[in-house]
Amino acid sequence: MKDYEVVVGLEVHAELNTKSKIYCNCRNAFGLEVNTQVCPVCMGMPGTLPTLNEKVVEYAIRMGHAMHCQINRVCKQDRKNYFYPDLPKAYQISQAEVSLCGKGYLDVMVDGAMKRIGVERIHIEEDAGKLLHDESFSGSLVDLNRCGVPLIEIVSEPDIRSSAEAKAYLETIKSILQYLNISDCKMQEGSIRCDVNVSVREKGATEFGTRCEMKNVNSFSAAVRGIEYEAKRQIELLESGGTVVQETRRWDDAKGMSIVMRSKEDAQDYRYFPEPDLLTIVVPEEKVQALKESIPELPNEKLQRYVFDFGLSQMDATLIAEDLTRSALFDACVALNRCKPKSISNWILSDIAKYTNETGKTIPETALTPANLTSLIEQVEQGVISNASAKKVFAVIVAEDKDPLKIIEEKGMKQNSDLGFLEQLAKDVLAANEKSVNDYKNGKTNALGYLVGQCMKASKGKANPGIVKEIVTQMLSE
Amino acid sequence: MKIDIAHIAKLSRLRIEPEKLEKFETDMEAIVNMVDRLPDVTDELTLDQDHPMHLREDVAVEHKFRRDEMLSNAPEVQSGCLVVPKTVE
Amino acid sequence: MKLFEKSAAELSAMLQKKECSAVELTQDVLDQIAVAEPQVGAYVTQCEDTLEQAKRVDDARANGESLHPLAGIPIGIKDNISTKGIRTTCSSRMLENYVPPFDATVMQSVHCAGMVITGKMNMDEFAMGSSTETSYFHQTHNPHKIDCVPGGSSGGSAAAVAAGEAIVTLGSDTGGSIRQPASLCGVAGLKPTYGSVSRYGLVAFASSLDQIGPIGKSVKDVAMLQSVIQGHDSMDATSAYRTYTNLCDHLSGDVKGLRIGVPKEYFGDGIDTCVKEAVFAAIRQLEAQGAVIQEISLPSTEYAINTYYIIASAEASSNLARFDGVKYGYRTASYDGLTDMYEKTRSEGFGDEVKRRIMLGTFVLSSGFYDAYYKNAKLVQRKITQEFQQAFQKCDVIITPTAPSPAFRIGENINDPLKMYYNDVCTVTVNIAGLPAVSVPCGRSSDGLPLGMQLIGNAFAEQTILNAAYSYEQIVGGFHVIPEAFCTGGANA
Repeated sequence: MKDYEVVVGLEVHAELNTKSKIYCNCRNAFGLEVNTQVCPVCMGMPGTLPTLNEKVVEYAIRMGHAMHCQINRVCKQDRKNYFYPDLPKAYQISQAEVSLCGKGYLDVMVDGAMKRIGVERIHIEEDAGKLLHDESFSGSLVDLNRCGVPLIEIVSEPDIRSSAEAKAYLETIKSILQYLNISDCKMQEGSIRCDVNVSVREKGATEFGTRCEMKNVNSFSAAVRGIEYEAKRQIELLESGGTVVQETRRWDDAKGMSIVMRSKEDAQDYRYFPEPDLLTIVVPEEKVQALKESIPELPNEKLQRYVFDFGLSQMDATLIAEDLTRSALFDACVALNRCKPKSISNWILSDIAKYTNETGKTIPETALTPANLTSLIEQVEQGVISNASAKKVFAVIVAEDKDPLKIIEEKGMKQNSDLGFLEQLAKDVLAANEKSVNDYKNGKTNALGYLVGQCMKASKGKANPGIVKEIVTQMLSE
Repeated sequence: MKIDIAHIAKLSRLRIEPEKLEKFETDMEAIVNMVDRLPDVTDELTLDQDHPMHLREDVAVEHKFRRDEMLSNAPEVQSGCLVVPKTVE
Repeated sequence: MKLFEKSAAELSAMLQKKECSAVELTQDVLDQIAVAEPQVGAYVTQCEDTLEQAKRVDDARANGESLHPLAGIPIGIKDNISTKGIRTTCSSRMLENYVPPFDATVMQSVHCAGMVITGKMNMDEFAMGSSTETSYFHQTHNPHKIDCVPGGSSGGSAAAVAAGEAIVTLGSDTGGSIRQPASLCGVAGLKPTYGSVSRYGLVAFASSLDQIGPIGKSVKDVAMLQSVIQGHDSMDATSAYRTYTNLCDHLSGDVKGLRIGVPKEYFGDGIDTCVKEAVFAAIRQLEAQGAVIQEISLPSTEYAINTYYIIASAEASSNLARFDGVKYGYRTASYDGLTDMYEKTRSEGFGDEVKRRIMLGTFVLSSGFYDAYYKNAKLVQRKITQEFQQAFQKCDVIITPTAPSPAFRIGENINDPLKMYYNDVCTVTVNIAGLPAVSVPCGRSSDGLPLGMQLIGNAFAEQTILNAAYSYEQIVGGFHVIPEAFCTGGANA
């Protein structure tokens, strides 16, 4: 078999979490009773007209900045005409020729390395309603609540070369949308969906193969499975002497396969033309700039920094970078420059994660401060307190803003690291436990743990266990 | 100029009764021939920046329209939904 | 003279001086409807509560409330303007039973002014036509000659004013649909500047060309009603932000120094001699009052109809796609599956002219034809607009005929779409360029049919064209719009 490579382009649709819909002042809300969030405008009643929500434009431009896009501050909207019961006007107001955001790119991390994926465009459009099917009923039911929910469509260049890259790209987009707080990204509510374009070609080929578009990909894992399925199908087709035909396919995630929806010949003619009910969108240059300045450091940028500057693993770095509250705490602690970034990361992903999970609180809702946390970690790193003590201190500082040093002092948690004292202690313990010393010398190495334990007991737990262990080992080998 | 009436009718979700088809085709052809006569303006359309659109503030209103009012003109309604022939999903 | 024969301006004065009540006036109009309607057929739907509406105005006046000058004046509304609780059919089977749950913005203005809604006026189906013959319901007849068309598409609105079945009416104009029927029925009608009247609630034909406008017996009536309906509306993104002044306050009959442009392209072979002569005579009368006449040229006019039919049909094909038997309106009785339901519903719900325009629009937007038709037409539209802009540097008002001929006989053109489309030859450029234009009566044909003159202004220069039209109205001693047949022999005569 020849060596193939898969070429993927993604069209991601994300619902924006504005208060009102894109073209009318109906509430933009999910999960309410059918056809209750509907007015004459979003129901497409005769004579009604759209009015564009300014927040939709802002959110799209922010996403454009996040993806390094050229912003087309002068653009328009177009009608995409097709008949379907979930589309009340029988056209979708979208953007064809000129989109709000033009070319850009997104850097994503795949297996510890950075990959740049080109973005062709980001445009704004309205969502359609929902069709409900019930076996017991001969027809379909139409719920128009979702009509007019604002969407951005992010179209990538065909730069993706594996399902893993696709997954990284999708997850990065999701984390950015959440970071910018412009989409809820609730997959189960369908607030982020994608169409996947897949083709295959021999490795090293310069021309693209014939692509198939896959619709109805409703989760990232479905995208991964769909790409793998489709690549395999196309390769098998080519290997058996067949050719790939351009067509639109529908992904059936339950069955794990794609089926033909329509061939190229049946391709819809959407008859795009400029939306005459809306004028030109003109965003002032200053506003474009102000929106650019409002973009915080994004999770994919943080991820790079955490991995390459601080040596965190991609897994740990991702877990911190993609959570705004975690990364805020991490960055603040690192800035104090008093302990190792890796230690901070460990605390955030273990004890702090456990606490927030159990209590349902977010990090800012706890009493934890970067100063207290770094101070605590510093004491552990310096061997002043034991890990067990540290957990006790943490339990206090997560509930109240109290100086860990003070807590350590009050509770007498300080470990004794005085070498003279510890050597005397060890000498006494070894003298009192001759049997164990002999056991050790006869090869029973677990006697070491017992002897260290006896030292700790004799010191009432104050001895620094690390140093004690070193001393005892040294003495036994003499 | 001959136009593909069947294709255009399909795109428009229209059907022309067979007995009217001939006249319809003749009329359509005459109309298309009429509008066909346009000068070739070799120029590009530009966006009108002189009249920028005022955008709407993002404020949601509590509903003034009841569902039964919104559905009162619908040919078929069930369980608060519009009813259509089963769509193949 | 009976009340229904008077102008809104005269009646407004009488109502304010309590020389008549709104109820008396409304009753008089209702009586006239009873007499004229069987012959004219201007209405699709008559309101049942007109007298109650009038009573409320009289009560308010009796209570000393401050009222709008048009309070109590009976008004008819073209049936493509959404009226809450009153069916709005667009004279189509598709919307035969459609009752909007909301009012068009202009209706809110009309209600605020306290006007009395008499009913909904017949029209060409979805405003597509120039004769009101494409109405699904019935033919409207020209009050001046009952076997002639009233023009269209606002034929019911124009005929009602001419027959005294309403004092004023609202029409809509996409390519001449207010001005041409006004001309054929011998009344005054204004197509306002695009963006000056909200389109919210006007069932869209061609969104970039449609405007609602007033029809009345006199220039002043038109100015009064336009002053009510104009203004910015946040519900219509194409509505213009500007200060709108009351057009009646500055209505002067002074045309001294007014520069009138006469474009030679509008007086070509296709225009009846009687029309040309009447318009030239009117121009000379204005010249005699001090206006300065100059010949101008608008060379792209020859492409206007083509440009218009491409743009208007393209938009219509999209605007009318929503009529699919799902949310409102007609649905076919039996069907097999979704596509069959769509096709049967739309084929049975729309008439032939609407189908032709939808098909033309679908064609010019379809893959492979877009650039040659739609895009090219948009470029020609820009050219036509630029030519007008240049012309308005040299003149203040452009005068042309409104329609190429007086009213034609019912059935005469209905089977020849191209001949029908030619009716718009003088009016479509105004919509293409988004300008205001008023049509006023201008003499008669040899067999007594009204002729019309169109005065075109620069964008938002409604005041200028209305002043010039008002001057002409003064010169000719007023327009006598109601034909004798409808003035005498009424129920209360």
